[in-house]
Amino acid sequence: MSAESTTAINRSIVDLLDFIDWSGVECLNHNTAHSLPNAIKQGYREDEGLYLESDADEQLLIYLPFTQVVKLHSIVVKGPEEEGCLIGPKTVKLFSNREHMGFSNVNDFPPSDTAVLTPDNLKGKPVVLKFVKFQNVRSLTIFIEDNQSGSEVTKVDKIALFGTTVETTDMKGLKKIEDNH
Amino acid sequence: MVLEATLICIDNSEWMRNGDYAPSRFQAQTEAANLICGAKTQLNPENTVGVMTMAGKGVRVLVTPTSDLGKILACMHGLEIGGELNLAAGIQVAQLALKHRQNKKQQQRIIVFVGSPIKHEKKVLEMIGRKLKKNSVALDIVNFGEDDEGNTEKLEALLAAVNNNDSSHLVHVPPGPNALSDVLLSTPIFTGDGEGGSGFAAAAAAAAASGASGYEFGVDPNLDPELALALRVSMEEERARQEAAAKRAAEEAAKKEKQGEQQSSSQDVTMTDQDSVPASEADDKKKTTKHDEGLLQEAIAMSSTPSYPSGRDTNMSEVAEDDPELALALQLSMQDGTKDAPSHSDMSQLLADQAFVSSILASLPGVDPEDPSVKDVLTSMQNQSEVSSSDLVG
Repeated sequence: MSAESTTAINRSIVDLLDFIDWSGVECLNHNTAHSLPNAIKQGYREDEGLYLESDADEQLLIYLPFTQVVKLHSIVVKGPEEEGCLIGPKTVKLFSNREHMGFSNVNDFPPSDTAVLTPDNLKGKPVVLKFVKFQNVRSLTIFIEDNQSGSEVTKVDKIALFGTTVETTDMKGLKKIEDNH
Repeated sequence: MVLEATLICIDNSEWMRNGDYAPSRFQAQTEAANLICGAKTQLNPENTVGVMTMAGKGVRVLVTPTSDLGKILACMHGLEIGGELNLAAGIQVAQLALKHRQNKKQQQRIIVFVGSPIKHEKKVLEMIGRKLKKNSVALDIVNFGEDDEGNTEKLEALLAAVNNNDSSHLVHVPPGPNALSDVLLSTPIFTGDGEGGSGFAAAAAAAAASGASGYEFGVDPNLDPELALALRVSMEEERARQEAAAKRAAEEAAKKEKQGEQQSSSQDVTMTDQDSVPASEADDKKKTTKHDEGLLQEAIAMSSTPSYPSGRDTNMSEVAEDDPELALALQLSMQDGTKDAPSHSDMSQLLADQAFVSSILASLPGVDPEDPSVKDVLTSMQNQSEVSSSDLVG
């Protein structure tokens, strides 16, 4: 995975896990026993036994807001690798800066990018995205449309986002300046 | 305190003219819907409730989810009965209305009243249920009116498709003397999955209560659990206190024989804490004062020993968390329940019960001691206590 991209001058590409705003994270159609933090949180996502699973059908809709504006470079989506049990995701659509999407309006506007995952990707090979479309991302919606084998249930082991931050102020870090005269 | 947007779907089909739920199915339904609105808004002030009809002229949203109770109650007024229930369309429109709620942080919930035959196939309902689950919409179904198996089967299939972690419920209300809203009050629809709804339920029940029906103390524990508990607790208290008083009475009797009647009666007149046998006077007012003080003393004494409420009182524990006095009373009653009643004369126990109850009734707000029925009871108890006191003293 390339650490330097041609456009980044003074910032290298980092894992954007630290910039996810956990209070606004939502996931639709997931099995409550196998929920989103299993796939995203550090430590959980490395664990083979912890995964994100879909519930009523094979689609998943994940909404991730960020604490600051980021540029998204690539994503890694890992799925289960058992032979004959390829139920990792296949078509993944990404929407940037769309709040509160539902399954009914995912097809209403074109995604910022679409990724069709191969079994290689499911092993951990990152998918490089159209960087120009993700220059100013405040929130990301990941729509997993179907899985490798067309089964009823989709399993995701890990989702990792890589990119750079834009120099925005983190409001929580703002401190009052003591005025001592 | 879950933040929720609820949409109530009313069945206003022709089947609602039926009078098997007093006064008519439709009115029972409206009442229940009103109660739900109140309960939801009370649980969390930011909750919103909307109302729509599923039959009549067609599926119509009368009020979009709002926290304004007045609007909701007003719109239920001019509703007309007619047409056939369209459950599938109703639920889908409800889902759409919830999708466009203003506060996206609210959880989505649909409450459906079904009181007429469902014309859709089970498969259709299952598909709808799955769609609801996919969009994390919870569904509560109130099945009343139709007893045929077809409806129940379809609704159970629908519930199975929607249910995610027990957030959806199906309630069957058979026709009977109990009002639809009263039956619903005890269900998870009101109690909000066992959270804080029971306080409202108790209050609403007290407001809606008609007559008691031969329960202990003449108060239905379901209708007014706090009152019933208070009565029961104070009865236990008074019993214990009367037993202690009876013991003292026995001692006093021995003293009286030496000192004579005069002194003991003068003692009886004064209203002090350490006052001994009031039995000869049988003055209810005195009993009231002493009962309060006795209650307090015993409460303080007993409050150090915690005990667990029995199964019947599980409702109380939730209410008791809010009210420390009630919590004390609860512990007290449990303590007394586990203790073996000291073996005093049955007469004194009976005296304690009835006199105690009367004193309680007198001290309670809302109970009019001037009421003829209450007066009768009081006089009968006075007679009994005089009889028993003569036994004790003599």
